[in-house]
Amino acid sequence: MKKLLALLLAVLMIAGTCIAFSSCKKSEDTIKIGLSGPLTGSAAVYGKGVANAAQMAVDEINANGGLNGIKLELKVMDDVNDPTKVATNYAALVDWGMQVSLGTVTTQPALEFKNLSKNDNIFFMTPSASADAVRAESNGYQMCFADKKQGVAAANYVNGLGLTKIGVFYQSDIDYSQGIFTEFKANLNDTITVVEASFTEQTKADFTTQVSSLKDCEFIFMPIYYSEASLFMTQAKAEAGIKTYYGCDGLDGLESVLDLSTIPQAITMLTHFKSDADNAKTFVANYTAKYGTDTLNQFGASAYDCVYAIVGALKAAIADGKTVDANTSASDMCEILKGQLNGGYTYSGAVTGTGEVKWTSEGFVNKEALVHVLKEAAAN
Amino acid sequence: MEFLSALLNGFSSGGTYAIIAIGYTMVYGIAKMLNFAHGDIIMVGGYAMFVSLMLLNQPLLALAFAILACVLLGITVERLAYKPLRGASSLAVLITAIGVSSLLQSLAQIIFGAAPKMPTRFMINGTVVLGSFRINYSTLVTLAVTVVIMAVLTVFVKYTKTGRAMVAVSEDRGAAQLMGINTNRIIAVTFAIGSALAAVAAYLMLMKAPTLSSTLGAMPGIKAFTAAVIGGIGSIPGAMLGGVLLGVIESLALSVPKLAPFTDAIEFAVLVVILLVKPAGLLGKARREKV
Amino acid sequence: MNRIASFFKKSFLRNYANYAVVVLVALVFGILSMTGSLKMGNQFLLEQIAIAALLAVSLSMVVGFLGELSLGHAGFMCAGAYLGGKLAAAMTAASGNQNSIVTLLVACVAGGCAAAVLGFVIGLPALRLKGDYLAIVTLAFGEIVRNVVMNLPMSWFGGTLGLETPRFDRKYLFVLALVMVLLCLAVTQNLIRSKHGRAIISIKDNEIAARAMGIDITKYKLFVFTVSAFFAGVAGVLYSYTVSRVQSATFDYNYSIEILVMVVLGGMGSVNGSLIAAALITFINTKLQTVLTGNLAVLQNVFYALILITIVIYKNAPGLKGFREKYNLNTLLSKLKKKPAEEEVPHE
Repeated sequence: MKKLLALLLAVLMIAGTCIAFSSCKKSEDTIKIGLSGPLTGSAAVYGKGVANAAQMAVDEINANGGLNGIKLELKVMDDVNDPTKVATNYAALVDWGMQVSLGTVTTQPALEFKNLSKNDNIFFMTPSASADAVRAESNGYQMCFADKKQGVAAANYVNGLGLTKIGVFYQSDIDYSQGIFTEFKANLNDTITVVEASFTEQTKADFTTQVSSLKDCEFIFMPIYYSEASLFMTQAKAEAGIKTYYGCDGLDGLESVLDLSTIPQAITMLTHFKSDADNAKTFVANYTAKYGTDTLNQFGASAYDCVYAIVGALKAAIADGKTVDANTSASDMCEILKGQLNGGYTYSGAVTGTGEVKWTSEGFVNKEALVHVLKEAAAN
Repeated sequence: MEFLSALLNGFSSGGTYAIIAIGYTMVYGIAKMLNFAHGDIIMVGGYAMFVSLMLLNQPLLALAFAILACVLLGITVERLAYKPLRGASSLAVLITAIGVSSLLQSLAQIIFGAAPKMPTRFMINGTVVLGSFRINYSTLVTLAVTVVIMAVLTVFVKYTKTGRAMVAVSEDRGAAQLMGINTNRIIAVTFAIGSALAAVAAYLMLMKAPTLSSTLGAMPGIKAFTAAVIGGIGSIPGAMLGGVLLGVIESLALSVPKLAPFTDAIEFAVLVVILLVKPAGLLGKARREKV
Repeated sequence: MNRIASFFKKSFLRNYANYAVVVLVALVFGILSMTGSLKMGNQFLLEQIAIAALLAVSLSMVVGFLGELSLGHAGFMCAGAYLGGKLAAAMTAASGNQNSIVTLLVACVAGGCAAAVLGFVIGLPALRLKGDYLAIVTLAFGEIVRNVVMNLPMSWFGGTLGLETPRFDRKYLFVLALVMVLLCLAVTQNLIRSKHGRAIISIKDNEIAARAMGIDITKYKLFVFTVSAFFAGVAGVLYSYTVSRVQSATFDYNYSIEILVMVVLGGMGSVNGSLIAAALITFINTKLQTVLTGNLAVLQNVFYALILITIVIYKNAPGLKGFREKYNLNTLLSKLKKKPAEEEVPHE
């Protein structure tokens, strides 16, 4: 029985917080955009990048008159990169009145989000959940390249270099890394010897062992995220045997944590976002002014594009005579957007790619992949 | 060659595990609690070092500051979260420790943000060349620090008044109290030592791998717990042995590409096998239960 | 007043009130859900509460009654989720009916049995190991299961992408899950109140004395581990029905610890306590998750940790004993009851 008082206490505390935070009343006449991403935990930096950039896009659009006068509203919920939490977030977003979504930030939760949103026919365009399986439903679109495409492109690039031996450094327990690596290996010339080294979520604090496994590889392909890559590069600074790092879009953001001038190796990546590209400059400057460089990465850039692409497609639909307003149901919105994207809508003014984004008839993103030379090799 | 360098790397990461495990094992021996928040003290130590490096620009001074910060934090946490539960079930303390762990992680993210920090100033990069063989300075430093800490602690426990009081408290808290030992003080001292070791461990980790995030301590914490159990909970040389063993196994597994994804499973499997053969760990004393 | 009190004291109600509550919850919300007036979020919440309750009640068998610390409960759940989920996926593919109750039951039994076998295996070292040594071995087993499942060939269990499993109609899944909770409650309570249950509790209180009384400790320990793992496996299968993909990262030791928190918070050796704590913690977490969004999300864990620490210290601190006794519902109620009782004395 004495538990009861404790329980009561807890319930009161919760009730207190509920009241404290629910005071921010939502306005009714907005178009509601929902998003679920890791705002805490070890992937929080990616989620924060997306949340910040998406909010920035929403604010900009609202400041410029919104969607033909209708303001946008963004709600970001935390899933800690845990698919189990997605259902709750999704339900809360639907209750809130979500009409269109940015899906989730990371792949594992996206697979859950995809199935939930399919039932309700809610359109989502994820900035960064890159598994091919995320698309495959008619209501889900990606702004990032799918893993398969990245793996194939990376293999083609490496095949053309004429190397005989390369190193690969990947993370074996996340789908992004594993997915690209599998595709990469399948498409790589048989004549190239591959030296593998990997790590897991549990062994990512120190890469001494992996550095010494790969120290004789001139060329290292790393389909991983930049937090881990920056650590590897720092630990392998003194390895003269390593000449070049090559990675995919996950490497973007490297310069936010690492002073690249201290790294002797050359770093190149195949990406859809180049922070020094002409079309990205304004975004980078605005983002940095607002949120600093800490969380500036391709995740955010991609999210920024998602918001603009959705709004652009909606504007195009209105121009085509469709009605879109704060009362349009999510399902109608989904059909309108699908009609636009599958009907050849081109989003121009993107900060990713070369500025023009389209979608293929299968719904995969179709934009220019950029070879981003982050850093040339230090002159010896 | 590959094997030897993996072995050496193992010694290096094992040394770090050992230092954390010593902290774990001492707290366990004295307070009889699994301090799940121990790993997060390392994280706090890391951030304390990061901040003081920015202010003082002196890695070793930063270490001193971090030790101080960790000791204060350790004592505060003990006083606020664990001391009220003295005499209650050990599981209750385990739960508050988990609460403290999650609290520290969240606070770190609130204060320092989600992006990882890379304080490269702490890195020691050079290598000693022995023929065709290279040893990182950081490996040597880690091993030296570990051995010195173990020696100092062994002497401290055996030959000082406080140290012997610690042994007494760990053997029988009630009897020790009756003999006039201030058990509360001894427990506080143990937490202080454990936390100071956590700060040192943070330094050793940043020295090799300068990455700092709010989840920095979670994984080494659990590894050190495993190491402490392998060596026999409560035994300082045991923690050292367990830590090094674990580090070596981890490093060897990681150096074989086909085994690397299974590293965690291999480490834990070794733990299970060791405990099945020696239920009280490698150097732990098997206690006969008396009626 | 007195009659009401005596009615409440009747052992029947005390022993079976929890079934009644679970049935009531299942019925009320089931009907609400059928008529379409239950929000999707609440359906998910009820699913999660039922799964948490299954996990907590089954873990309380090991921790609360047998007195062994287990940190590998999520590992059993993982085994159940993957094997049961795989079977369910195969059967669904064959029959084409996602919402087949038969499939769900078969998968539950299969997943439960798979976990039970694992529980038996993990119970074996438990015969030799004590306390925290056992805790780390169970934690180790849980992590091994998780790690191995993920690294098996992609075609077996989906690798890093996870195993695709059927998703039962969310309108009714929580009702079925609550039925499983009832089943688990029945097994646990009947076990605990039987001769065997008293034997198990005697092992917790004093193993040597129990052995001296001729209690087969080996048998009982293995038995409890196996039964407990079975229900964790069932919870795993139900979990696999709530998500579209089972992903091994879910079942890490933090999950096991979360279940342990429920058992400890509910009070050791109290089935109802575990039940209430499971519901409450799941509710609190969900509320924190849905209320604290955007920039406030980082406060979720701060609140959760503070609530956890406060409750545990309040409930367990020896120094607060006086305070607890002075201000709790029991004493307040008995104060209310006392007055009429005193009046009655002269009449007798």
